[in-house]
Formats: sequence, C-alpha cells, structure tokens
Amino acid sequence: MSGEPVVYFEDIQLGEQYTSPGRTVTEADLVIFAGLSGDYNVLHTDAEHMKASLFGERIAHGLLGLSIQQGLLDRVVPGQAVGPLAAVKWKFKGPIKIGDTIHVEARVSAKKDGEQPRVGLITLERRVVNQRGEVVQEGETDHLVGRRPA
Amino acid sequence: MAGAPAERRLYFEDVQTNVPLETPGMTLTETHATLFGSLTLTPSEPGAIPDLIPLCMSSGLGWRVPQPPLVVLAFMGFEWRFLKPTRVGDTIRSVSTTVAKRSMKEGGVVIEERSILNQRDEVVQNGRLTLLVAKRPSS
Repeated sequence: MSGEPVVYFEDIQLGEQYTSPGRTVTEADLVIFAGLSGDYNVLHTDAEHMKASLFGERIAHGLLGLSIQQGLLDRVVPGQAVGPLAAVKWKFKGPIKIGDTIHVEARVSAKKDGEQPRVGLITLERRVVNQRGEVVQEGETDHLVGRRPA
Repeated sequence: MAGAPAERRLYFEDVQTNVPLETPGMTLTETHATLFGSLTLTPSEPGAIPDLIPLCMSSGLGWRVPQPPLVVLAFMGFEWRFLKPTRVGDTIRSVSTTVAKRSMKEGGVVIEERSILNQRDEVVQNGRLTLLVAKRPSS
C-alpha cells in the first residue's frame, strides 16, 4: 500500500487492541459465497427447509463469517501487521443470520520468534460480535510479520 | 420431511472413520481472487490467491466426493495451518478423513482431518474440522 508506513514485528505491542467497523451480512453475501465456494448446503440456500430447523432461517456459512471478519479487521490493523496467515484456531459459537451486523474485537495475545530469523510470529485473539453483543465466532490467528531490518 | 423427494443422505451412523475421500480438482483463477476480494474487502496482489480461498473452496469441493451428502447441522470449529502460498493457475483438491466420531443427544460430533494439495501434490494447507451431524431419523 503506497503512502502507508511499513509496520514491523517490533512495532506491534503485546496487548494492543483493535475494533473493526461493523458490517451487515446480506442475502447477497450468502449467495455470492455459495457460488464462489460451491457450498450449497441447505443451511445457507434453502429458506423453506430452514424454517423447520433449529435456526428458523438460512444462516451464513461459518467460513463466510470468517472471511468477512478477516476483511473487517484488515481495515483497522496498521500496515502489514496482519501478514500472511500461519495458523487459525476457530470456534463457531452461534449463527450469523441475514441482516445481522457483525464487527471484530481483537487483541495481540502473543509475540514469538518465527522459524526464520527475519520473521516474527504474532497471535491475535479475535471475537466476532453481533448487534446484540453476542460472540458468534471466536478464535486465534497466527501471522508472520517481518522484523525491522538491522 | 413428508412429501419431499427421497434423496440419499449420509447420517452420523453412516460415517466411516479412517477412509480418505478425495475431491475433484479446482483451478484457482484471478476471478476467484477478485470475487473473494470484493466480497470480503480483502485486497490481494496480482497473481496471489488470498490465504482463506483454498479453505473456503474445500468446503464446496467436499460435496463432490463419491458418496451421498452428509447431513451437517452445524460447523462447530476448526484448527488450520497455512503451509504454502497458492498462486493464480494452481489447481487444488482436498483429501478428508474422519478420524473420530462421538454420539451426542442431538446428533453426533465428527472430527475430520483435511489436507489441501496442489497440482504438484504439495500440501498447501491442512487441519482438523469439527462438525455436528444429524442422526438418522427414527421410523
């Protein structure tokens, strides 16, 4: 990104917190994600079937929620701090329904040496929260971040 | 469901452990990156495939194995590792194996190990997924 200062491993503080903007998940999001991924499970695509289900209506693909939160958090984490993903541990705790508005709350929970000397590993704890304050997804992501050149 | 056409489906009782299932391949294109980027607001460099795309594609590919669809009630969670980058033009496929199943009151929990491979048979991503699967309806 031109004009944006490069953020190195050393610039990221343990305990740093980020809150993303919100985003309303729409029917169009579900349809596009189904088409893109090929996951047409009735959970996400059959409104009539889902009326009789535990959820009462179609729900977003869990991985759509994961993908949207990644984009939301990218908007508030400085520079390349959310560099290439190394690992994810994730729990889907509740449904995201059409019309729900979600945002992400994240915190730098660990900083470690990477396998290569020029790269460090940061862990972000993330919670995806809906408009009622319910945590619908949560987990940890590990990212590789370059160290400041000597 | 009464009146619904008979469709063969796999329930918790039908899930076999330790049988690997391989999906067809899917060539990842600039279009995948563009569509994913506009849906999620994740920018990517030209020629690069965003990290989450292979994982997301494997969920759709998983329906195209030579067996009836599994009645999944919910995706509960997963642990995943991103081992190698994927580029535009790479062809991925996924291999899944159920490694454990546990019966619950409402349905059963199935633990699946999944690897995503590229056209050079390199594992680009892998991990473990936890699914809640329906039990066969009585009657």
